Amino acid sequence: MSDLLQDIAIALDQAVLRCDNPLAGELLLVEGQSSWLSELLPDSQYQQPFIIEDDCYFLQDFMVDAKALWLSPENGRLRSGFWTESLSSGRTLHLEAVAIKQGNTQVLLINNQSEEFRQRQKTIQSARELTLANDKLQEQYQYLHHRLLAMINSPKGISDSLSPIIAAIENANFGVMVLDPQFRPMIENPAILEIFDYQKDEQLSTELPVETLLRLMHTQLPECTRILSTATTWSGELCWMKPPHTLKWLKVAIYPVKDDNQKLSHWLFFINDISRLKYLLQRNEKLTLQDPLTDLPNRHAFWQYLEKRIFEQQPLFLLYADITDFKQVNEFYGHAEGDRLLVELSGRLSSVLKKTDFVARVGGDEFAIVLNGVESVENCLMLGNRLLAVCQHPFYTESQAAYHVSLCMGAVSFPDDALTAEELMKFADLSAYNGRSKNVKGLQFYSQELKDASRQRIQIEKELRHGIENDELELLLQPILDLKCGSIRKAEVLVRWNRPGHGLVSPVDFIPVAEQCGLIVALGKWVFEHAMQLLKQLQELDLTIKLSINLSPVQVMDSSIFDFMQLCIDKYQVNPHYLELEITEGILVDDYEQIHRLLTRVRGLGMSISVDDFGTGYSSLAYLKRLPIDFLKIDRSFVKDIATDDNDKAIVLAVIAMAHNLNLGVIAEGVETSEQQAFLANNCCDSAQGYLFSRPIHFDGLVELLQAQKDGVSADWQPK
Amino acid sequence: MIQKKICLLGTSGVGKTSLIRQYVEGIFDKKYLTTIGVKIDKKLVQLEHQNVQFMLWDIEGADRYSVFQERYLRGAAAYIIVVDQSRSPSLIEGMDIHTLVRQVHPCPTVLAINKSDLETRWHWNSKELADYKELFDLSFHTSAKTGEQVELMFTELAELLTKER
Ligand SMILES: Nc1nc2c(ncn2[C@@H]2O[C@H](COP(=O)(O)OP(=O)(O)OP(=O)(O)O)[C@@H](O)[C@H]2O)c(=O)[nH]1
Ligand SMILES: [Mg+2]
Repeated sequence: MSDLLQDIAIALDQAVLRCDNPLAGELLLVEGQSSWLSELLPDSQYQQPFIIEDDCYFLQDFMVDAKALWLSPENGRLRSGFWTESLSSGRTLHLEAVAIKQGNTQVLLINNQSEEFRQRQKTIQSARELTLANDKLQEQYQYLHHRLLAMINSPKGISDSLSPIIAAIENANFGVMVLDPQFRPMIENPAILEIFDYQKDEQLSTELPVETLLRLMHTQLPECTRILSTATTWSGELCWMKPPHTLKWLKVAIYPVKDDNQKLSHWLFFINDISRLKYLLQRNEKLTLQDPLTDLPNRHAFWQYLEKRIFEQQPLFLLYADITDFKQVNEFYGHAEGDRLLVELSGRLSSVLKKTDFVARVGGDEFAIVLNGVESVENCLMLGNRLLAVCQHPFYTESQAAYHVSLCMGAVSFPDDALTAEELMKFADLSAYNGRSKNVKGLQFYSQELKDASRQRIQIEKELRHGIENDELELLLQPILDLKCGSIRKAEVLVRWNRPGHGLVSPVDFIPVAEQCGLIVALGKWVFEHAMQLLKQLQELDLTIKLSINLSPVQVMDSSIFDFMQLCIDKYQVNPHYLELEITEGILVDDYEQIHRLLTRVRGLGMSISVDDFGTGYSSLAYLKRLPIDFLKIDRSFVKDIATDDNDKAIVLAVIAMAHNLNLGVIAEGVETSEQQAFLANNCCDSAQGYLFSRPIHFDGLVELLQAQKDGVSADWQPK
Repeated sequence: MIQKKICLLGTSGVGKTSLIRQYVEGIFDKKYLTTIGVKIDKKLVQLEHQNVQFMLWDIEGADRYSVFQERYLRGAAAYIIVVDQSRSPSLIEGMDIHTLVRQVHPCPTVLAINKSDLETRWHWNSKELADYKELFDLSFHTSAKTGEQVELMFTELAELLTKER
């Protein structure tokens, strides 16, 4: 029996040691003597008690944990994790120790894990190399991006070719183009000419790099028109084929540069040849036409298929779907789980489809589906809804945590809606995008309504641009109450638009448009500057309270926002301690670094930060913990039913507890009844705002309230 | 002779292994071989009045592939947070680790801003960087490649640790 155990231990490359007296820490080798063990622990002879000395420092250290386990009354096991030991003979060992307590037996296993170690190192090595390469690229992009922006915005402009940034561009090892709004090149560096094999002195008939690039975008990106016409930032991959021999994968990043009035002034294009990287990734995979993760056809296979069907004049419906919460899943559970989700979802989608249909993964979380032989819009709708229904069942992580995601899906018909593959894809994308932004569930058909809506949006945009210049905007203030003392300590700044011919427009009707077209940056600056004027007046009246100003996600990404705020504060001589910025929960996950930096700097000035609409988005404690914030604002949808709904009650209590735990204050939004107020006050919620106390009011109204408060006249909501 | 456990912490690829290698063996390898788990190296630091034995714990970088193990810090006399000046996220991650560790394991701390031979890529200005350095007992601009400030860092740390007694 003992021989057998001995053989097993040796075969497992494992040493088994027993510890009869955990207090003394003496070990006894019972099985698995080997040459590496005697080199590692020279004192370990069969059945000879010994103590681990300094020479194996890691084990000595692990023994502290092992002893604690052995001395505890519970059974259990504890792993040390891998460690590496260089022996004096020059040999390197990769080991792991396991301490086990089972009844009265205390055991220490030492495993020689060379194979497992190498395996893990191999996988992680390539993952980390990719991360590093990617970081580096990102860094270079951002660096040049910032420098270029600064240069373009400088009074001298790009004409100053002696500028060091020009030298940096010339020497960058990726392609850089600076274009005017009509896509005429102003700067092209040598790298970009090289990427596109472009010889400057070639005859005029060859395509310019920018022409090639725009052509690729138009044919490979359905969302291209939307990106270019709304001047949106985009990055992604394009494939360039130039017969007979050239096939290159390009990583492209596009940044619009806008002037202070949010008019497009330049385009920046960064292009990097990632063919080699792709090659490395695809080396072991069925090349080019299949998506390695899901085994579905990829974007290129899809284009080929769609073009073929159109060429054959086969009527079809094209559906375009993306996962609404994919980013959250990725962030929350990690990328491995994001991948699992994609695999599972593509399986579910495929299972609903017929053999004659075609589904492909055309982007990160995007799928395209061609339905053949579907006769009517009604039938397509039915099928579409069946596809959407695959998300009704939860998805599971590897550790069996259940979660839900949903799809947003757009549909177009060939030949009814469009005649070319590009247009079909573009319209399907637009429909899905529209469904998503309006938050409607279900399949979205490309419709007249959509065309009208986009026209309307353009109209609002035009008038709003005008409105900002003509001061058609005005600020209202909604008081925020300290629940302990019942007095107004703060007010949220809200903007209204006096739109000619339409009357007072509420923010929900124009902020989204402003966000989409980038006008929000100018609008946000208008609001900030005018809020400073109000604060200054309050200071002069000796009625100072804190003003809380909303910052939209787009503004957070605007690199000039901080300088602007600082400038305003100086200009109006206001005390930044009386300023608060409200950001929405969603942006916390979008660009951690940028927001971290902005918030830190803003806080450095003395402003405070609150997180708006808390609870509606995806709330990762990790982010909350790490970001410099001061308050959480509980969304009104939770507050609404707190007096009656136990779920909402529980959520609000949990948020309050969690916030206080992180040293954050809590503000409840949308408080309308005294029951709600009582519940919040009794449960240590710090502040509240809502119609119960006051609607958003004009500045004069606020001044009156504050004056009354100062004079000791109590309002009826105040504790007597 | 006194022995001191020193942990090198930071996200992956910042140069923890390379710094130790440069210090202990005087070698730099530009090929990246990621550390799995832990490796401990010893180095005798000779100061004017006494010698100190450093036990240098090279710990796998904390990133999305590997969680930071607080357990490895037990008994550490000091830790060095290594960041890579050519990759700005590494500073944020380093500061996060620092914040976490400072609470559970108060001890002298060092900031190693590594790869000083490469161009700075981050957008922190010197004032902001100085604020970060404030949070440490010592800080250095090191290069595991050229050896700049590497020996200096360990020697000054040894001096700090012996003075403390
Ligand atoms: N130019 C330069 N490169 C360096 C320097 N230090 C490290 N490197 C390089 O950076 C890469 C990563 O270095 P490592 O020392 O393995 O990094 P690490 O922090 O130990 O990484 P993990 O073990 O994965 O956590 C290697 O390719 C090194 O050659 C430096 O000071 N200058
Ligand atoms: Mg390492």
